[in-house]
Amino acid sequence: MIKMSQVVKRFGAQTVLSEVTFEAKEREIFGLLGPSGAGKTTIINILTKQLDADSGSYSIGAKMLETGLMLDADGLYVRLNCVENLNIFADIYGIPRYKSLEALKNVGLEESAKKAVNAMSKGMRQRLALARAILHEPKVLFLDEPASGLDPATARGIHKLIQNLCDNGATVFLTTHNMEEAVKLCNYVALLHKGKIVEQGVPAEICERHNAVKTVPDLEAVFIKLTGVELE
Amino acid sequence: MRSIKAIFIKQAKDIFKNPMVLVLFIILPVVALIMTQLVAKSNDDIPSNMFVTMMAAIFAGMGLVTAASGVIAEDIERKSLRFLIIAGVTPYQYLIGTGGFYLLAGTATSVVFALIGDFAFTETLKFLAIMITGTAASIILGAAIGMLSKNQQAATSLGMPVAVIVGFTPMIATFNETVAKVAGVLYTQQINVVVNDFSVSLARPLLIVAANIVVFTFLFALAYKKKGLKG
Ligand SMILES: Nc1ncnc2c1ncn2[C@@H]1O[C@H](COP(=O)(O)OP(=O)(O)O)[C@@H](O)[C@H]1O
Ligand SMILES: [Mg+2]
Repeated sequence: MIKMSQVVKRFGAQTVLSEVTFEAKEREIFGLLGPSGAGKTTIINILTKQLDADSGSYSIGAKMLETGLMLDADGLYVRLNCVENLNIFADIYGIPRYKSLEALKNVGLEESAKKAVNAMSKGMRQRLALARAILHEPKVLFLDEPASGLDPATARGIHKLIQNLCDNGATVFLTTHNMEEAVKLCNYVALLHKGKIVEQGVPAEICERHNAVKTVPDLEAVFIKLTGVELE
Repeated sequence: MRSIKAIFIKQAKDIFKNPMVLVLFIILPVVALIMTQLVAKSNDDIPSNMFVTMMAAIFAGMGLVTAASGVIAEDIERKSLRFLIIAGVTPYQYLIGTGGFYLLAGTATSVVFALIGDFAFTETLKFLAIMITGTAASIILGAAIGMLSKNQQAATSLGMPVAVIVGFTPMIATFNETVAKVAGVLYTQQINVVVNDFSVSLARPLLIVAANIVVFTFLFALAYKKKGLKG
């Protein structure tokens, strides 16, 4: 569904992505795992046409309007409340406004519908950003570190929502620097280090390949073995 | 069309929660009202409409440059604009939705100025015509500045001096002939010309303001092209 082949991206003299190749299959949760600065956001920006690649090819198997996004900034209108934020996009997509309330319900924010964004916690804002991403029932979701900076309980809530979306037929492409998140949530992961994919596959299988199965599959151990650096 | 409407509604809801911007539409008419009542009415040497026309010219020329640039720079800084573009909104729909709302709000303020002033009927029409087109020019100039900026701080440090220059050039032009020659091409100068002497023909001023609008729209397009989604 989402494919990248031999993609290279440079910023000036710095090569940020070198010959990145992977494929995310339909209806799976694909995780791009790597430490800060690895090039994860750059890959999402290229796939969502916010950036051009210098060479290589890619496709996302859906029209732009069939995609939903969470970027590294939430882009919310801070003085407006939750439902007002969503209604703007419901109007732009030309879908009925009750969909805004449905989306809020889906992320557990129905009680806070009238709450202004600048009065909400980071976790609530992330959930609202997710609600905006799923408002128009997209086929493909791009989520850039959807649970980063959240406490474990709130992060688990977001994970559950993402799992539900996938169960309901969406293809999810997410980035993370958290290996637990990758192991628990993703059907398939690619490990990214300094703009290169150093390994990819089903989490448990990757760990087996690299003798990194403890009590739980340990992707972090694989990462350290391959790159010599830790994730966080 | 529905995108323009959605953005227009967003601005309408937002302004009442954004006192820093809202005050720009209120403060100058209030100053004009107070000065007119307290100073102009009790002083025979001062033309009764002097403060109204002075404040109106400042409002149309300068007030909205900073308002529009700040609002757009905020959308860029928080990446709200990026989400709109990804949802299929074009930069022109964004400009028309945002600028259109501020033009309406600016028109309301211009009407208040007209009510405070002691204008004859045809004077009122001329006053509103130049105020509304002038407001449009300063909004689009502000939009171009906002689009050029990375964040609100950058927009202020670029927008303020630009607003001051376009706003005060007409005043300097009254003392300096060289400046006066150059000032003629500026929309702010044309606003001043008309509000200070309603006997002049509107055709030339309106044409010059329209030319300013074209140039500023071009600047806006250029700024967007340079930045694209990467900003
Ligand atoms: N617009 C840009 N200009 C120059 N360098 C950039 C730009 N965006 C990202 N980079 C650089 O590219 C590298 C990868 O960044 P990014 O994709 O944001 O990493 P990640 O999301 O994995 O933390 C970093 O070294 C970053 O400094
Ligand atoms: Mg990132």
